[in-house]
Amino acid sequence: MVSTSVDTMTAKTLVDSAASDDPGVGLRAVRSFRELAERLETLQVSRARGLGWSWQDIADALGVTRQAVHKKHGRRS
Amino acid sequence: MFERFTKEAQAAVVGAQQVARETGSRAVDTRHLLVALAQGSGSVHRALTASGVEPGPVVSKARADLRAGGLDGDALATLGIDLDAVRRQADAVFGRDALERASRTPRGHIPFTPDAKKALELALREAIRLKHRSIRSAHLLLGMLRGDNPGRDLLLQAGADTDALRTALEDGARAA
Repeated sequence: MVSTSVDTMTAKTLVDSAASDDPGVGLRAVRSFRELAERLETLQVSRARGLGWSWQDIADALGVTRQAVHKKHGRRS
Repeated sequence: MFERFTKEAQAAVVGAQQVARETGSRAVDTRHLLVALAQGSGSVHRALTASGVEPGPVVSKARADLRAGGLDGDALATLGIDLDAVRRQADAVFGRDALERASRTPRGHIPFTPDAKKALELALREAIRLKHRSIRSAHLLLGMLRGDNPGRDLLLQAGADTDALRTALEDGARAA
């Protein structure tokens, strides 16, 4: 019973903040979201290269040109 | 401006860049500078201790914040993203501290944030105010305390008494 009410509270807090009309909150979320995506891309590309993926394979999966992905990640892996 | 910095103050500015590299940061802000100033055994370290702030925990907290970098778990939660869950998943696939390791530090010179530049300017002003001919590391922290920046916020969170700290820094700068 106690845990249910805590869960409900957490969910409500989340919904409240997601619905927040404060641009500051929204923009900070976007910034962190972009940073998170960048870091995951770095990790995924590096792992794919390690597993023998070609730059073209990686570019196709990311939906960008081979040149773009090589320029961005080439010197790291 | 830098030619008026003492060796210790120059080392702190260079050290801040090193801290940025170690924490995977894209820019040097006042927290990096604070770490560089507080982690040694120099005049700022002594002034912090004298004013009742333990430098060790402040340095650790700053480094932890910097390593988390632009990833704001609370902000991501508003999108329904559980950063801790993402972190666990990333660690499972890519190895320990994967998200931290994936943070990209620019090669070569790491730019200073406007706040950090402002703190350096304020340090110069502090030296002039105190009629000191050179800019010492104590002036750097005095400058930081004059501004509104994340380095100062960290010190306030650590319970720093800014008046006591200023006095200790000014004494240190005078004695140097």
